Amino acid sequence: MSNLYPTIGLEIHAELLTKSKVFCTCSAEFGGEPNSRCCPVCSGLPGTLPVLNHTAVEYIIRAGYVTNCEISRFTKWDRKNYFYPDLPKAYQISQMPRPVCLNGYVDIVAGGKEKRIRVNRIHLEEDAGKLVHDEATRSSLADYNRCGIPLIEMVTEPDFHSAEEVVAYVEKIKLLYKYAGICDCKMEQGSLRCDVNISLAPKDSKELGTRAELKNLNSTKAITRAIEYEIYRQTEIIESGGRVLQETRRFSDTTGETTALRSKEDAHDYRYFPDPDIPPIIFTEEELAAIKEALPEMPQQRKERYMSRYGLAETDADNIINDKDICDFYEAAIKAYDKPKAVANFMLGEFLRRINLGEMSMTSLKFAPEDLARLIELGDTDKINKNNYKTIFVEMINTGEKPDAVCDRLDLWVKDDSSAVEAVIDKLIADNPKPVEQYRAGEQKVFGFFMGQANKALKGQATPNTIKAILEQKLKG
Amino acid sequence: MDIATLDHICALSKLNFTEEEQKDMLGQMTDIIDLMDTIKEYDITYDDTKDHNEIGYGDLRKDIPAPSFPTEKLQQNTTPRDNCYVVPKMME
Amino acid sequence: MDLKNITAAQLRRMLDSKEIGAKEAASEFLSEIKKNDGKVLSFITVTEDEAMKNAEAAQKRIDAGNAAPLTGIPIALKDNLCTDGIRTTCSSKMLGDFVPPYNATAVEKLIKDDYTLLGKVSMDEFAMGGSTQTSAFAKTKNPYNTECVPGGSSGGSAAAVSAGFCTAALGSDTGGSIRQPASFCGVTGLKPTYGRVSRYGLVAFASSLDQIGPIARSAEDCGIILNAIAGVDPHDATSKDVPFTDFNEKLGKSISGMKIAIPKEFYGDAVDDEVKTAVMNAAHEYEKMGAELVDCSISTLKYAVQAYYLISSAEAASNLSRYDGIKYGLRGEGHSFDEMIRDSRNRGFGAEVKRRILLGNYALSSGYYDAYYRKALALKQQIISEYNAVFDKADVILTPTAPSVAYKIGAQDNDPVKMYTADICTVTVNIAGLPAINTTCGYNAAGMPIGMSIVGRRFDESTIIQTADAFEKTFSPVRCTL
Repeated sequence: MSNLYPTIGLEIHAELLTKSKVFCTCSAEFGGEPNSRCCPVCSGLPGTLPVLNHTAVEYIIRAGYVTNCEISRFTKWDRKNYFYPDLPKAYQISQMPRPVCLNGYVDIVAGGKEKRIRVNRIHLEEDAGKLVHDEATRSSLADYNRCGIPLIEMVTEPDFHSAEEVVAYVEKIKLLYKYAGICDCKMEQGSLRCDVNISLAPKDSKELGTRAELKNLNSTKAITRAIEYEIYRQTEIIESGGRVLQETRRFSDTTGETTALRSKEDAHDYRYFPDPDIPPIIFTEEELAAIKEALPEMPQQRKERYMSRYGLAETDADNIINDKDICDFYEAAIKAYDKPKAVANFMLGEFLRRINLGEMSMTSLKFAPEDLARLIELGDTDKINKNNYKTIFVEMINTGEKPDAVCDRLDLWVKDDSSAVEAVIDKLIADNPKPVEQYRAGEQKVFGFFMGQANKALKGQATPNTIKAILEQKLKG
Repeated sequence: MDIATLDHICALSKLNFTEEEQKDMLGQMTDIIDLMDTIKEYDITYDDTKDHNEIGYGDLRKDIPAPSFPTEKLQQNTTPRDNCYVVPKMME
Repeated sequence: MDLKNITAAQLRRMLDSKEIGAKEAASEFLSEIKKNDGKVLSFITVTEDEAMKNAEAAQKRIDAGNAAPLTGIPIALKDNLCTDGIRTTCSSKMLGDFVPPYNATAVEKLIKDDYTLLGKVSMDEFAMGGSTQTSAFAKTKNPYNTECVPGGSSGGSAAAVSAGFCTAALGSDTGGSIRQPASFCGVTGLKPTYGRVSRYGLVAFASSLDQIGPIARSAEDCGIILNAIAGVDPHDATSKDVPFTDFNEKLGKSISGMKIAIPKEFYGDAVDDEVKTAVMNAAHEYEKMGAELVDCSISTLKYAVQAYYLISSAEAASNLSRYDGIKYGLRGEGHSFDEMIRDSRNRGFGAEVKRRILLGNYALSSGYYDAYYRKALALKQQIISEYNAVFDKADVILTPTAPSVAYKIGAQDNDPVKMYTADICTVTVNIAGLPAINTTCGYNAAGMPIGMSIVGRRFDESTIIQTADAFEKTFSPVRCTL
C-alpha cells in the first residue's frame, strides 16, 4: 500500500434559476431551438452592453449565506479574455479580485465522520454557449442560447482527501442550493457542474503534489470514478519515478479513464481586468439583511421543526429533508392534513418504497399532496380500512384518480355492518375448529390469524376495531 | 520589446505578421512602450474602492424576461447552418 | 437656397415657418454632398432614400404642428453608431459589410424626433486615431485645406459639418475624437459628461472613456442635439440618471463673475505659439465680459497620454476580440478556428488598430499588469482628484484643444508616438469623465482654424455651452470654401 495521500479541491458551477439571463433580458430557460433565446447583447454584437440582473445578485448572496460566507460590501466584475467559438464576445464576464462571497464553510458527514470544508469564494459570471461538432463537414456549430445564463462558481479549499468526502459535499451543496431556490442542480443537464483538482503527496509531506484538474464530471458517480482513477494513475506515475504534469484532464464515462485535454489557449493568460461596462456594486447592511431574511427555510431548520414539533425521529427527518421534492411534497401534504407524524409514516413507508421500486417519480407524479393527505385522513378516521391503503395508492400512482373516487369505484368504504361481520366470523369459527380450540386454551397469538382471515373476507369494509370486538366476543364462545 | 514578447502578445491578440511587418511593428511597439515606461517613475498606488463609480444594489435591472430577437435578423451578417454559427471543427 | 452655413436653430425656424420644406432641405444637402464630397471624402454611405423618407415623415409632423427641435434637420452619423439595416463599418475592412440589426439608443432618439439621416460619415478605423487617415474607406480631408487632415477620429463628422454637407453630425469622443476634429475643421463639438448619453449601439473602442456627442455650427446647436440624445438608458448601466431640462437654459446669460481656470501645463512647449496666443486672446475676451481668469495646475498632465493609451488600448484589445469572423465581419480562411480567426483579424484590421490591440494586451498580460494597467488606473484617480481641486475654485477650465492646427496629410504616418502625444490637450477630460466643448477661437496665418476647449464640472454641460456661446457671439467665423 502506497503512503501517497490525495488532496482534493473542488470547483462547482451552478446555473441560477433566474427568469432572464444575467446581462440581458432573454429567457434563461434551458434548451430551445438553436439561437432562439438570443439577442444582440448575448450574441456579442458590436455596440451592445451588459446590464446586470438584480435577482442573479440576490441568488449568489443566498448561496453565500447558506454556505456561511462573508458577503463583500463592495463587489465588481472583470473580463476574462480568451478566444473560443462558444464565447461570442471573446471574453467572459466574471469576477476576479472582488467576488460577492468569501471565506465560508460547509459541514459534511462522510464515512460516519463530521468534517468542515472551507469555501474559498463564490463569484457570479455568465455561462458560455454550446458547440456541436459535425464530422461530415469538419465544422462545429455554435448555439448561444446558453450564453449569458447566470452561473455561480464556488471554489473550495483543498480540504478533501477522498472521493467519498467530495461526493458528500456535492450532495450537500445540491441540497443547500435547491432549498435556497437558486439552482435546480441537475447534473445531467449541466445546471450543476463540478471540476476536481487532485494531487498526491506522501502523507507526512508539508507540500502538496502537482495537481491535475478533472473536467466533465456530470454525475456523482463520475466524480467517484474519476477521482479513483486519477489516484490510481498518479500513484502509478509517482511510484515508477515519474512526474505528474499540471494539466486539465477530461473524464470519459465510457472508459472510466481520464485523458489530457489539448491546451486551448497558449499560456492561459486571461488578462483579467475590471469590466468598464458594469459599475461595481455596493450593498447596504439593510439590503443584505433583507436578502438573508427572505431566504427560504433551509433543510436544517426543517429538520429541527420535524423533530421538535412533529416528534419525528432524526433518521426519519433526515430521510424527508434529503430530497427537496419529497420534503416539499410532505410540507404541502401536512398543510392539507395536519397530522405530520401519520403523513411522515406513510411517506417514509409506502411512498418511498414505490419510488425506490421505480413505480413513481417525483418529477412526474399524477396526484397532488392533498390527495395523499386525504388518503391518510380516510384511514385515520376509519372511513376506509388501512389495509386498503396500498390498493388505493396504486390507483393514485397509475391514474391520478382521487382516493374518494377510487373507494367509490372499488367499493372500499368501511360500512361497519355488524351482521355482515358476524356472519363472516361465524363462518370462520365454524370452518376452523382447531384454532378455536387453541385460542380457548389460551394461545392468544391465534387471534391474529382470525383477524387476518376476517379482514380478508370483509375486504376492508369493516374497521379493525369492529372486527376485533365481535371476534373477541364470539371466540369466548 | 523583443521578438519573443511580440510573438506572445500576437498569440494573445490572434494576430500574425510577416517578417517584414514584424520588424516594423517591433520598432513601433518599442517606441510606444518607451513612452509608456515613463509612468514607472510616478509613485502611486491604485485603490479600486476609491473610484466612486459604484451603483447601489437597488439600481440593478429587475429580472423580467423579454422576447428574444428574431434569429434570422440576428444572423444577417453571417451564413448560419441549422440556425447555428459555423466554425472550423474544434478539437477538444 | 444656400443652407451651408445655417445652424439647426435657424433651419428649425425656416422649416416651421414653411420658408423651406424638409424634403427641399434634404435634397439641398444631398446635392451638395454629390457635388463636393469628392474633394472631402467625408461620407462612407450616403442614405439618399432614407433621407427622403425621413424628410417626408418630418414634413408631415411639421405640417401637423408638432415638430420636435430636430424634426427635418439633416444630420450625418459617425459610422460607429449602429443603424438598423444601414451598413455600419467603423471605417474598418473588418466591418465593411456589417449591417446592424438594431439602432443605437442615441440614433433611436433622433428617429423619435423625425430627424433626416443623410448618411454615415468616415472616421479613424474603430475611432483609433486623430486624422481619419486610418479609415479603410474614406480618408477624409480638411475642407479648409484638402492637403490637411480633418483631425479625428470623428473627422468625417467635423469635415461634413464644416463643408456644409449637413447641418450637424454625431461623433464619438474617447480621447478628443469630437473636440480635436471640430477644432481642425473650425466647427463646434461637444463631448458630454461620461454617462450623459447612452453608449448602447456605439461600437465600443474604450468603454470607460467613449461618449457620443454632437458636432455642429454653434454651441447652441450642440445643446439642441444634446437635449435630444441625452438621458439614462436601461441598456447602458454606465449611463446616469441626472435630470436636465434644457442644456441651452443658460444661453445668453451673462458670464460676469464666472471663474475660468487656466491650467499652466496646457500652455507649455508642446503647444504651438499661434495656438496659445489665440486661446489666450479668447481668455481675455472673457475677461472683458466680466469673467475672472484663475491660474491652476494639472500636474499629472505629463503622464496623461500614457495613462490614456494604456487604459484605452487595454479596453480596446478586449472590445475588439469579438471580431473573429464567425458572427459578422470579414471572415478569413483556415482549417482550424485559430487559423481562421487570425486570418480574419490580419486582413480585417489596419496597422493602427493592430498596434492598439498589441499595446492593450501587453499592458494586461501577466507580469506587466501592475506596472502598466494598474498604474494607469491609479493615475486616473489622481487626474480626477486634480480636476476636482480645480473645480473647487473655478467654474470652467479653458485649454487649447490641440497643440497645433490641422497638419499635412502624411505628416504623422508611421510615427505613433508623435501621433499619441498630440492628444495631450484632450485626453484628461475623458479620463476624468468631464464634459468639454470645442469652439473656434481664431485662425492662423494660413487661415486654418484654431480651437479652444471649455471643460466643465461633471453633468454641467449647460455652463460650458453658455461659455462657448458667449464667445461665439463675439466672433466672426470664416467659413471654408471648397
